[in-house]
Amino acid sequence: MNALEQELFEKRLVSIATGLDYPRTPDIAGSVMARLRPATRSRFLSRRLTWSLTIILILFSSLMLIPPARAAIIEFIQIGVVRIFGTEPTPPVPIEEIPSTMMPVTATPVPTLPSLIPMLENLAGEMTLEEAQQTVDYPILLPSYPPDLGQPDRIFVQDADGDMTVLVWVDPQQPDEVLMSLHFLPAGSWAIKKIEPTFIQETTVSRQRAIWAIGPYPIRLYNGDLQFMRLIDGHVLIWADGDITYRLETDLGLEEAIKIAESLEPIR
Amino acid sequence: MFYARNPIPFNGVFHINDLSGEARLDESTLIRHAANGDAAAWEPLVLAHQEAVFRLAYLILGDPDDAADAAQEAFLRAWNHIQSFDPTRPLRPWLLSIVTNLARNRYRSAGRYLAALTRGFRNEPAPANIEEKSAQHLEASELWKAVQTLNMPDQQIVYLRYFLDLSVTETAEVLQVAEGTVKSRLSRALERLRGIIQQEFPVLAERREGHEGRDA
Repeated sequence: MNALEQELFEKRLVSIATGLDYPRTPDIAGSVMARLRPATRSRFLSRRLTWSLTIILILFSSLMLIPPARAAIIEFIQIGVVRIFGTEPTPPVPIEEIPSTMMPVTATPVPTLPSLIPMLENLAGEMTLEEAQQTVDYPILLPSYPPDLGQPDRIFVQDADGDMTVLVWVDPQQPDEVLMSLHFLPAGSWAIKKIEPTFIQETTVSRQRAIWAIGPYPIRLYNGDLQFMRLIDGHVLIWADGDITYRLETDLGLEEAIKIAESLEPIR
Repeated sequence: MFYARNPIPFNGVFHINDLSGEARLDESTLIRHAANGDAAAWEPLVLAHQEAVFRLAYLILGDPDDAADAAQEAFLRAWNHIQSFDPTRPLRPWLLSIVTNLARNRYRSAGRYLAALTRGFRNEPAPANIEEKSAQHLEASELWKAVQTLNMPDQQIVYLRYFLDLSVTETAEVLQVAEGTVKSRLSRALERLRGIIQQEFPVLAERREGHEGRDA
């Protein structure tokens, strides 16, 4: 085979090989992380959380590995600008019920807490609550439950084709650890696509349809040509009210999360 | 669009952003976090590479369950040895190298072979299902069968180069050989593959000849 023949043959191989029908890639990350993480979860405002706040992953390399058809193969649930792809809604299972075979098996010491929270220090868009309210054209609401929650410790407003507000509550004892965050996503901002959360369940917030997703699970953000993946290790309650979609991230249970969601009030 | 105060230049692989898309972390930064025991940094790396790792395992093993097990084991092993990994190097070739070894070991194991036979018998697709596949998928499936008749080193290099579309440089990193070695191995593997296609997969051969004629 001369050089030209080999080149043509190689092109032909690549062309044919791209048509191979691979099985859908399973949730390997979920399985791996389940074996790396401790299985117990902490209590709100009393123990450390086991989730990092947010990471957004731009998957430039893996974009080339995903066949175009894969993007349209599964059903989704949509709340506001949030679209959740994955399996049928599944009742949540307590963390304690995870089989022992899913417990950490490595000898490598694993910290009880991910520690990417210091990235908060590098965020732009931080401002006071008053400045944030002056910046965005929708009312910023604050939870009045739990009563001792207080105002958020960090406030960020970011341009996501619409001013997205993120309120962050940190552990007063350990300011580099996040207890809870609340996102306000105005209409027209990026469509947020979550894929394959461990468990999702439909619920209501103030009689409005809502989604409860138990993590860890990845989230994809789409904006034009760029694809982002956000990864959150925690639970998320998503609901919409008018033009605003709300995302409450916490490691609390569903009932507590709904209480918080239904306690939102305008800034006094 | 989100913006960063001090963005890290794009390194050609991917970036990880924080809450609002800022403070970009590249792969090497995440690897350093992971090497310090930060499991949260490992998860996005798994997400970024799980598809390539799973697919390579699937190509070698031919069974999705086995491939998923091998991929999971590869990421756990990589986590256990991440402290010895040079964070300035791209992660994917290393991961693919690990899963290649794991998949090969699985392939050779008698238990896996018997299990595959059992599954193959149980899951033998009905002819109707085959007919429903598109011509493109069938052609790709035939090519895969042809490649499977090669010896394992030839299979590996063909999978990496043509099925996963890795560059010669990346393929060399996965196989831990020089780029020149990759080229010479590829040349020999292609000769053998072409011979097999001509003898045992005439449909592919006919299409190939027609294709070459058009391109020429």
